[in-house]
Amino acid sequence: MAGSGTASPLITAREAGLVACQRCGRVHDRATAVCVRCGGGLRSRDDTSTQRVWAWLIAGIIAFIPANIYPMLLTNTLVEHSESTIIEGVFELIHHGSFGIATIVFVASIVIPLGKFMAVAYLAISVQRRSALNQHQRHRLFEVVEFIGRWSMIDVFVVAILSALVQLDSLATINPGIAAFSFALSVVFTMLSAQSFDARLIWDADRKSPQ
Amino acid sequence: MTDNQTIQPAPLDVRPVKRPIWQRISVVWLVPVLALVVSLGVAYSSYANQGTLIEISFENASGVTADETVIKYRDVTVGRVEKVEFAEGLTDVLVHVRVDKTVAPYLDDDAQFWVVRPDVSVRGITGLDTVLGGVYIDGSWDTEADVAQYEFVGLESPPQTRVGQRGTVVSLRASDGSALSQGAPILHKGITVGNLGTPQLSFNGNDVIVDAFIQSPYDQRITSNTRFWDTSGFSLRLGAGGVSLDVNSIASLIEGGIAFDTVVSGGAPVRDSQVFDLFFDEGTARSSLFSSPTQNAEVLNIDVLFDSSVRGLSAGSEVRFQGIRIGTVTDLSAFVVTDQQEQAVRLRTNLAIEPSRLGLGPDATPEDALAFLDGLVADGLRARMITGNILSGSLQVELVQVATAPPAVLTRDADGKGIIPTTKSEITDVAATAEDVLERINDLPIEELMSGAISMMDSFERLANDEDLRAVPSSVSALLDEARNLVGGEDIQAVPADLRAAVSEMRDTIAGLNTVITGANDAEIVQSLAATIETANTAVANIEEATRNLPAITARIEDLTDKLFAIEIEGMVDAATQTLNSIDVLIGSDATADLPASLSAALDEVRLFLSEVRAGGAIENVNSALASASAAAQAVETSVEGLPALSARASRLVSETEAVIQSYGERSRFSAETLGTLRDIQSAADAVTNLARTIQRNPSSLLTGR
Repeated sequence: MAGSGTASPLITAREAGLVACQRCGRVHDRATAVCVRCGGGLRSRDDTSTQRVWAWLIAGIIAFIPANIYPMLLTNTLVEHSESTIIEGVFELIHHGSFGIATIVFVASIVIPLGKFMAVAYLAISVQRRSALNQHQRHRLFEVVEFIGRWSMIDVFVVAILSALVQLDSLATINPGIAAFSFALSVVFTMLSAQSFDARLIWDADRKSPQ
Repeated sequence: MTDNQTIQPAPLDVRPVKRPIWQRISVVWLVPVLALVVSLGVAYSSYANQGTLIEISFENASGVTADETVIKYRDVTVGRVEKVEFAEGLTDVLVHVRVDKTVAPYLDDDAQFWVVRPDVSVRGITGLDTVLGGVYIDGSWDTEADVAQYEFVGLESPPQTRVGQRGTVVSLRASDGSALSQGAPILHKGITVGNLGTPQLSFNGNDVIVDAFIQSPYDQRITSNTRFWDTSGFSLRLGAGGVSLDVNSIASLIEGGIAFDTVVSGGAPVRDSQVFDLFFDEGTARSSLFSSPTQNAEVLNIDVLFDSSVRGLSAGSEVRFQGIRIGTVTDLSAFVVTDQQEQAVRLRTNLAIEPSRLGLGPDATPEDALAFLDGLVADGLRARMITGNILSGSLQVELVQVATAPPAVLTRDADGKGIIPTTKSEITDVAATAEDVLERINDLPIEELMSGAISMMDSFERLANDEDLRAVPSSVSALLDEARNLVGGEDIQAVPADLRAAVSEMRDTIAGLNTVITGANDAEIVQSLAATIETANTAVANIEEATRNLPAITARIEDLTDKLFAIEIEGMVDAATQTLNSIDVLIGSDATADLPASLSAALDEVRLFLSEVRAGGAIENVNSALASASAAAQAVETSVEGLPALSARASRLVSETEAVIQSYGERSRFSAETLGTLRDIQSAADAVTNLARTIQRNPSSLLTGR
C-alpha cells in the first residue's frame, strides 16, 4: 500500500481513510456508516454499480432496436398515409435537400445514442480492466456522457410537439409511433445506466491490478 | 506519525462477506429482462399476426403502388399491397397483397378482386375517394370459409353483382345490342332494381344475349309472364290524342335501359339464367303478353332455300302458316349449293318458329315441332314468299299446303337443321301494274292533239288580229268616257249644293218667323203665322222631297252607266267567246277534210257577225243606253217640275208675310229684319225656279254637262 501510494501523486479518499456522503458531500471517517448531517448511508465504493450499469445498458440497447425498426411518426393527410422510421426520415430529408436537418436528426437519434452505449460500456469495462486512457480522460468521458444524456430526447420532443399540434382530423394528423416510445425508453435507460456508474471506481482500477 | 501509528490499532481489514449470487445480483437486472421479454413478445405477436400473402394478377394495374394501395372488403381495409411485379413473359401484372389473417380463410375460389378507379358516368360518380387517396383494390367474397386459395385473377371492371348479393340473374335475348350497355339500369315502375351485364353475341350469332341482374326482393316480381322492353331513348307518338313524348330517366336516355313488368298473374317462377325476349318498346311488350303467351319459349330454327330473289324479305318478316303468324325470319344469307357438278346460289332464309303456335301445346319443344313439320312436308307443305304489304313491297314467308306439289321431304343440313322445300312464290307487284298504266298513257296520240291545238291557236290569233274587232273596245271606252264626263259635269254636281243652301236659308227664315211670333204674342198674327208656317213647312217638305230624289237620280245614272259598261263588255266578250266556241267546234269537227272551206265560211260568219256588231248591235245598244239616259233625265225633269209650284207658293207666302209685317209696323227694326229674311226666301225660291226652268228648257244639259 505504501508503494502504491508513492507510485501516484494522487491519493484517493479511500486511501486517506475518508468517505464522502454522496448526498450532501460531507466527509466522514471511513468507519462511519451513516452521514451525521443528512442521515444518508455512507459507502466508500458501490460494489453493485457495475452490474446496474450493465443491466440498464442492456435494457437501453434492447429498447433501441424497436426504436429504429418501427415508425417514429404516423402521418395521415388527405392524400396519403405515411409511416417513417428514423433512418427513413433521415433519408427523406436528404432526398429533399435538407442536409442540415438530416445531419441533426442523424446525430441526435443515431450517433449520440450509439456513442453513449459504447462510452458507457467502455467505462464499465475499463474499471475492471486496464485501459488505454488514463483516469482523467475516462473521468472526462463520463462527464460528457452524463451531460449529453439529457439532450438525447430531442427526437422525442419533436414528435411530442408535432403530434400535439397537428391534429386536424381528416385533413392531416400526426401520431407518435411505437419507435418514439421505445426511443424515449432507450434514452431513459441509458441515462440511468450512466447514473448508476460509480465514477470513483475509475480511480481504483489502476491500483487494483498491482495488488 | 510513527508513534501514533503504533498506538493506533491495526487497520481493519474489512472485507465484505461473500453473499450468495442471488443476493449480489441487483434488482435492476429485471429491467433488461423485462425489456427483452416485451420485445420478444411484440416481435412474436407481430410475426404471428402477419397476414397471409396472396397474389392477384391483373391485366392493368394502373395506380396500384406497393406499400400504399390497400385492399378493401366492404369498404374496410383488410390488407395492403406489398409488391407489384410482372408475371413471366410480361403478360400480367402480379400484385402481392398481405391480407389480414382473419380474412384469409374466406378467400376461396369465389373471391373476386378489381381495382377501383374513379368512374364518371350518367348514373353518377363512383370511386371519387380514389381521386385523392389513390386507387384501391376492392374484393368480394362470400361469408363461407372454403378451401383457401392464394392466387387469384383480378377483374378488369367491377363485377355486375357482389358475391353474396341476393337477386336473380336472367338472360335477355335481343336482336340488336346497340341500345344495351353494361351497367345500364333495369327499371321496374321507374325504380332501378338491377342492372345489365355485358352484352354478348349468342352462340349462333343471331341474337345478342345480355345478363340482367335483378336485386332481391324485386326479383320476386319476375315470372314467366314478365316482359322486358327497351326504354332507351325516347318515343314520340302522334295520334288522335295529340303528341305524346315518353322520356325515361336521363341515364337511360343516354345509356339505354331495360324495364320490365308483370301484368298478368299466374306465371311460373323463374329459374336462374332463364331466357327472356327483349322487346323494342313497351307497347309491343305488353301486347305480346296476350298475343304470344309463350314468347320466351325456345324456338325452332329451320331453313328455307329460295332460288328467286328475296328482295322485300328481311329479318323480322313474319312467317305464317295457313294465315296465322307462327314465327319470324331471323336471318338471310346467300348459300352456294353444289348440285350435280353445277353450282347455284340459293338464298338461305332462317325461320324461327314458335312450337306452341303450331298448335302443339305450351310445352312443345323444338324437336316436337320439327317432327310435326316433317309430317306436314310429306303431305305437301311448302314454303313460299307472299306479298305482305303491296305498297312497301315487303314479303312474308308462308307455309302452305300444295296438293299438286311434287313429293319432297324435310331434309336436314350438316348441322341437323331442317330445310323446308319451296314452291312458286306469289308476289303481287304493284310496280308492274303501275308500269302498265304508264304504258297506256304513253300510247295516247298526244302529238296529234297538240298539232290540232296549235292550228286552233293560229286561227284564233288571226281572228284577234282583225282590226274591226280591235276597234270595238276603243269605241266602247270613248262612249264610257263621254258618259263619265256627263255625270262628272259641274252643273249637275252643283245642283244638290244649291238646293241645300236654299233649304238652309228657308230654315233660317222660319226660325226668324218663330221668334217674331213668340215676340208678338198676338192671336191673329199667330194664327196667320201658323198658317204661313204650315205652308212654308209644306214647301220645305216638297223641296226636301225633290232634293231626296236628286241623289237617287244621280245614283240611277251611275247605275245605268255601270250597267252600260258591264253589259257592253260582257256582251262583247260573250259574243267573242261564242265565236271562239264555234271556231272550236269548227276545228274539232270530224270534217277535217273540209277544214279550209269551213274555216273560210266560219270566218265569213265571224266577219258578218262583227260587221253586224259594228253596224247594229253595239251602236244600237249604245243608242238605247243613251235613250234610257234621256229617259232618266226626263224623270229628273218631272221630279223638278214640282219646283216652280213650290217657288210660287213660297213667293205667295213671302208676299203674305210681307203684308202681315207691313201691317204690324213699317219702321220697326223687327219688320225690317223679317222683311230681309223673307226677301232672302224669295231669292232662294227664285234660284230654285231658275234651276227648274233651266232644267226644263234644256234637259239634255243634264247629259251633256253643258
